[in-house]
Amino acid sequence: MSAPDTTPAPGYGQFPTALRFSLRNQVRNRMAALLLVGFVPVWFVAMRAMAAGEDKPLRFRLFATGETLVVDAADLTLITAGLNALTMITGFAVFDAVRRTLVFDRRLVFAGYRQSRLVGAKSLSIALVSAAVATYTAVVLLAYWRPGPAGWSAILAGFTVMALTYGAFGLLLGVLVKNDLEGFFLIIMGGLLDTFLQNPLGNPLANEPVLQWLPSFGPTQFAVAGAFDRSALWGHLALGLLWAAGFTAAGLLVFRLRTRRRRGR
Amino acid sequence: MSTRTETALQARDVHKAYGRHRVLRGADLTVRRGELVAVVGENGSGKSTLLKALAGIQPPDRGEVRVHGRLGYCPQEPVLSPSLTAEQHLRYFAAAYRLPGTERGLELLRELGGERYLRTSVGEMSGGTRQKVNLALALLHDPDVLLLDEPYQGFDWETYLHFWDLVQTLRDRGAAIVVITHLVFEQERFDQLAELVDGRIRPRAHHPEDDHVRA
Repeated sequence: MSAPDTTPAPGYGQFPTALRFSLRNQVRNRMAALLLVGFVPVWFVAMRAMAAGEDKPLRFRLFATGETLVVDAADLTLITAGLNALTMITGFAVFDAVRRTLVFDRRLVFAGYRQSRLVGAKSLSIALVSAAVATYTAVVLLAYWRPGPAGWSAILAGFTVMALTYGAFGLLLGVLVKNDLEGFFLIIMGGLLDTFLQNPLGNPLANEPVLQWLPSFGPTQFAVAGAFDRSALWGHLALGLLWAAGFTAAGLLVFRLRTRRRRGR
Repeated sequence: MSTRTETALQARDVHKAYGRHRVLRGADLTVRRGELVAVVGENGSGKSTLLKALAGIQPPDRGEVRVHGRLGYCPQEPVLSPSLTAEQHLRYFAAAYRLPGTERGLELLRELGGERYLRTSVGEMSGGTRQKVNLALALLHDPDVLLLDEPYQGFDWETYLHFWDLVQTLRDRGAAIVVITHLVFEQERFDQLAELVDGRIRPRAHHPEDDHVRA
């Protein structure tokens, strides 16, 4: 279905065109927008109220230094709540967008779109949307807690990596699962388990080494260390990025397989 | 220099099964340049499966398909992005086909009476209008071989007639066109009627009594 590569220079570059329309596709997800605008503040309020009953400070172990921080339960829970909200919003938004356009993307590839350009544009649009959602969440957090510029920057970085990780997870599920329910269930339950197991308030065993194997471990450690200890655990942030890269690579591989041209001739 | 006798599409001994259900059992089809072929058959006879195999979307389990030139494929159900407008679809596919602009797409939509919906999101369009966009995307790059799976579903009478005008123009230009349909009226429009029975294609004789509708 494609024209040969010798045709005149294209009026519309494939990468910028795909990036523009991928972004539009994600931005026009009304449900995700509603979640972002309504759910994030409500979730912060609810989680803060839940933690308000804790009289004693919480003990949170930084695995990188072995140091145990004594922190305000409500403040720590706000970080967890932000991370959790991001898992749901970015995971859901990307999952939905990828799923809705998978057959359409396949048609584009059959029409001659280079898979690499489509994949690259899709990845970049996911990264941009995830970063924007993370920034919004970190800004909303300021209405409930002012951790200071350095602390807030660490939280923003942790949020961004978390959003990238679950955006990539949404991509993987979007090309992998057979129906919407499976995808929503895995995103919601996966996000809840992952983030709340890291919080000593929700999980008294939150200092157990096994938690290091969960995607939110790195971003949580980085955000908490930056907000409460003024230390930057770059290795842990990189660990979160590794999860994001892993999910992205797996998702794009499946996307590539599912949209490839099959020449049975 | 190509001639009308040149083969544009050739399928030989095409087999396709879904699990144990053997849909195509050695289908053969040859279409020449400038030829208009109807593939007819009962519901579930495998017409869409055959077209997907010809288009390369669903490779056959066995057999060979050869397409000479650029291929245009219009799926039965519109494959579009609900959040994009008709105009944005044209741009997207102009980029896919590496075309310098969307002029041809605009012309096609105008001919099909869909130009009013250029800035309307597909999600807000009627079924017939979606089908117009669906069809325009398959024709955007002036393909040499055109595979249309029940392309006029949802069209009003006027659009239906415009569709046939468009097909005639493409045919005159030398395009080989295969139309899947389960309606066999207007048989005289086609150069060849191929009936899919038991997974194989056999020529169907022209039955004047089937020509219920004439344009």
